[in-house]
Amino acid sequence: MLVVQNINTYIGRKKIIKDATFKIHPGNITGLIGPNGAGKTTLMKTILGLTKFDGQIQLNQIAVTENQYTALANVGALIEHPAIYPFLTGKQNLALYAHDPDDCQRLISQLNMTKYINEHAKGYSLGMKQKLGIAIALLNNPELVILDEPMNGLDVESTIGVRQLIHQYADKGTAFLISSHILSELQKVMTQVILINRGQIIVDQPIAEFEHLHHQTYKLLTDDTRLTVKNFIKHHICYTLNNDTFQVNPKNIFEIQDILSSQNIHLKELAPISCNFEQIVIQLLNQERGNRHDN
Amino acid sequence: MAFSLYQEFYKLNHRKLTWISPLVLLILMILTGISIGYNESKLLMATCYNAPDWIMLILVVIGSTTFSMEFQNNAILTLLYKSHNKVIVYLSKYIVILSYNLWLHLLAILFTLGLNEISINQSVPWSTLYLYQQPLWENMLKTSTIDVLTTTFIISLIFLFSCLINNNAIVISFSLLMVFTGQFISANLLNSEKFTQILRWNPFNMTNLTRQYYNYTTYFDTSHLLNQQLLQGTLSYTLLFVIVGYLIFRKKHF
Repeated sequence: MLVVQNINTYIGRKKIIKDATFKIHPGNITGLIGPNGAGKTTLMKTILGLTKFDGQIQLNQIAVTENQYTALANVGALIEHPAIYPFLTGKQNLALYAHDPDDCQRLISQLNMTKYINEHAKGYSLGMKQKLGIAIALLNNPELVILDEPMNGLDVESTIGVRQLIHQYADKGTAFLISSHILSELQKVMTQVILINRGQIIVDQPIAEFEHLHHQTYKLLTDDTRLTVKNFIKHHICYTLNNDTFQVNPKNIFEIQDILSSQNIHLKELAPISCNFEQIVIQLLNQERGNRHDN
Repeated sequence: MAFSLYQEFYKLNHRKLTWISPLVLLILMILTGISIGYNESKLLMATCYNAPDWIMLILVVIGSTTFSMEFQNNAILTLLYKSHNKVIVYLSKYIVILSYNLWLHLLAILFTLGLNEISINQSVPWSTLYLYQQPLWENMLKTSTIDVLTTTFIISLIFLFSCLINNNAIVISFSLLMVFTGQFISANLLNSEKFTQILRWNPFNMTNLTRQYYNYTTYFDTSHLLNQQLLQGTLSYTLLFVIVGYLIFRKKHF
């Protein structure tokens, strides 16, 4: 459905997104994760044709360009801040974009906004505005919904409500691209993960495959940490070091043992450890930073 | 295009300023009628109680906020991707403000008819011959029509500023400065009596169009252009500002 091919995005002359390529299929819930300034929002804006870019973006085989948004007729988005006019009530803000009043009313009920929807939006709290922004994105049964930090300012009940709504829409075939810093929340909904750092996509996998490949890491302790570090750098082995304990990728453990043995460094401990989702992401980012330094 | 127009009319319709402005216009017209003198009825009737200046003031405020409210409420991104392309967004806003401009001029005519009935000033029949040996009613209609063109020129300029500057207050200040000091800037340029043949076509000079129509002898010495030439200049600059404004909007990234 959405095809992003070799996208480079520029702000001024600076390249913010570098050669991004990925696809999103109907019903997919894709989590877009990465550190601050990685380019998540810029990538979302690029898909909406709102930045200067080269490469190809197609939605249902129709190209999106900087000035042509016809392909986005069935797309909903919440980027950075909800687009709300303070002089309109919540309901009027929805009516401004809605093609079907019944759809509007259904979203008001599902997002629990009935109590305040007829009040002027200038008096809304951050959470109320956020829910209204999500409702605007979900109007008119979109094929693709792009949500940038949708859980910002939402209370527990609202967060659960939004999560259920995302599942409900995805079951009907709506695809989602969601960025969030609350990884645990994102983990509960996403079916696909895209990890971005410094404008480059470093992971693009189904969540099951991602967890299978990266879930385990190995803890390593040697009798000479300094020499081990030196050899890891020399042989381009990715690692993280905490005190004297290394964390290494399982795919490297045989190579590591050979290197250490050849250098007469003795193993004190080599054992698998389990990681949660957040730890995996941090580890991958650290590995990517390590690779960048090596290069 | 139809849906974008609907959205723009919906927003304009729900802004308090839209509905307060006609009331402000009426109050200013009454104040003009009271202050200008009992015997100036013909001038007041021909100029709709100086409505062109008051409408200009209202349009500067409403026109300047048309784009800046989108930037300030973070709505510009949604507005853009929900439309087919940028030209539709730009033209919809322009058409809606033009419609509001026409509406204000229509109201000014109706207010003038009403104020003439209640006789704030000396009562003069509408058939009395006044400017260009034409009856007063014709003078009023022609002044209003010409002022629609002058204000359209000003709207184009405001849109150009709005696409260059995101800050509402700066756009309003700059536009007011341009509208109300434009004729003095132009007059100073032309007073030097050098390159008059070229300088008389400066855009500031076009703000004199309405005033020159109802006060030809005074303003021709300032503008150095005939009514017809001022009209051609105004229309050309309007087109130029609309196109340049759109090109800036097209290149702008949000």
